[in-house]
Amino acid sequence: MLSTLRALWQADGAFPSGSFAFSYGIEGIVALRHGLDARELKRLVAAALKHRWASYDRVALLRGFRCNGDLAVIAAVDREVEASTLVESLRVGSRRNGASFLASHARIGNDLAAILRDVVRSGECLGHIAVMQGAVWSSVGLDENLAQLTSGYTVASGLITAAIRLGAVGALQGQEVLADCLPLIEQLTMNETPLELESFAPFLDVAAARHAQADLRLFAN
Amino acid sequence: MLDKLRPAERAATHPGPAAARVGIGGPVGCGKTALIEALIPVLQRRGIDFAVVTNDLVTKEDAERLRRSGLIDPARVSAVEAGACPHTVIREDPTLNIATGDDLEARFPGLELILFESGGDNLASTFSLDLVDWWMFVIDVAGGDDIPRKKGPGLLRCDLLVVNKVDLAPYVGVELEPMLAEAVRVRGGRPVLATNARAGAGIEAVADAISAAVLFRI
Repeated sequence: MLSTLRALWQADGAFPSGSFAFSYGIEGIVALRHGLDARELKRLVAAALKHRWASYDRVALLRGFRCNGDLAVIAAVDREVEASTLVESLRVGSRRNGASFLASHARIGNDLAAILRDVVRSGECLGHIAVMQGAVWSSVGLDENLAQLTSGYTVASGLITAAIRLGAVGALQGQEVLADCLPLIEQLTMNETPLELESFAPFLDVAAARHAQADLRLFAN
Repeated sequence: MLDKLRPAERAATHPGPAAARVGIGGPVGCGKTALIEALIPVLQRRGIDFAVVTNDLVTKEDAERLRRSGLIDPARVSAVEAGACPHTVIREDPTLNIATGDDLEARFPGLELILFESGGDNLASTFSLDLVDWWMFVIDVAGGDDIPRKKGPGLLRCDLLVVNKVDLAPYVGVELEPMLAEAVRVRGGRPVLATNARAGAGIEAVADAISAAVLFRI
């Protein structure tokens, strides 16, 4: 039960981790498609979950989780994420999000987070959010399954919250989309973990790349 | 290379921030960036080692303005995007700002002071004490002399209230002295300073307040 409560704690949008400042491509899509509605948002979030989260972020998360705090392994996964994230704003955003996540856990007394914060600062690790979540969540008592569910939930709710704040969908419509995504997240966590980090979400990537050039923007990516 | 691979072989450190952290909040257009521009040479003359973090709502304009001002090493100015939530980034989730402050401290050993400029917000804006040690709230006379009467949490709870653009009072139908007196009254006598940041009026007093409150230099 305690591990479930800890997963709720980490999935809660009130946990400060800096995630609210990142849209991971949604702001770029809203700029491209002015008529984005709840149905289209649901398709987008499902695509992000299937083609980016399940085969990429989830894999990085699990590798971080399974490394048992071995900093050399964490650094290697981190470098792989860095090398395979094509869009700069997504790459930099992931690192900044990871730094904020570590800052929170370090401030509330998590030793591994404090060590990771220091090695990121020294350049030994890069601090990508999925890798840091995997490493830290293993240290706070989540099991692998809960870590995956928490990660999938925070990715989906983050995308939807960004769309709500951008005015693309209403708050209640957003919750309907999120509720519809929950079975998909559960199903995706049951998939075999790919050996390689694989992501193919070109629309989100192109939108994120365009967004990086925008004069006016609310989100960091 | 990572010389020690497992956390057990490394000591976790949980140091508090080394530099004093000061928040500067206030509504859009009240003159927060102008106040910082005016403070920079004063703090430099006093030999204070400092850096600035800006929180821009939709652009990096404030950070760019400071970087290009020629007043301060551009590397000492960092920008944090507020994700459409100027409240959140300084209160409910200040971790992006905390991490940015930590990064500045790591890059500039000996840093004594970090100024965090909030994105333009409203009178309800307040700073988390996880982020700052002390904070000021800026309003301006052109916003109307009824602002103190509205008693927003930002105005009431800040450590120092700055009433800026006092030179504009005659042009916007504001009687300055009653406005300042009301500000002092609603704050229960806590500090209120009047400034004209563009002309440098009152800026030494703001620097004195910062020095006394967080740098313990009087």
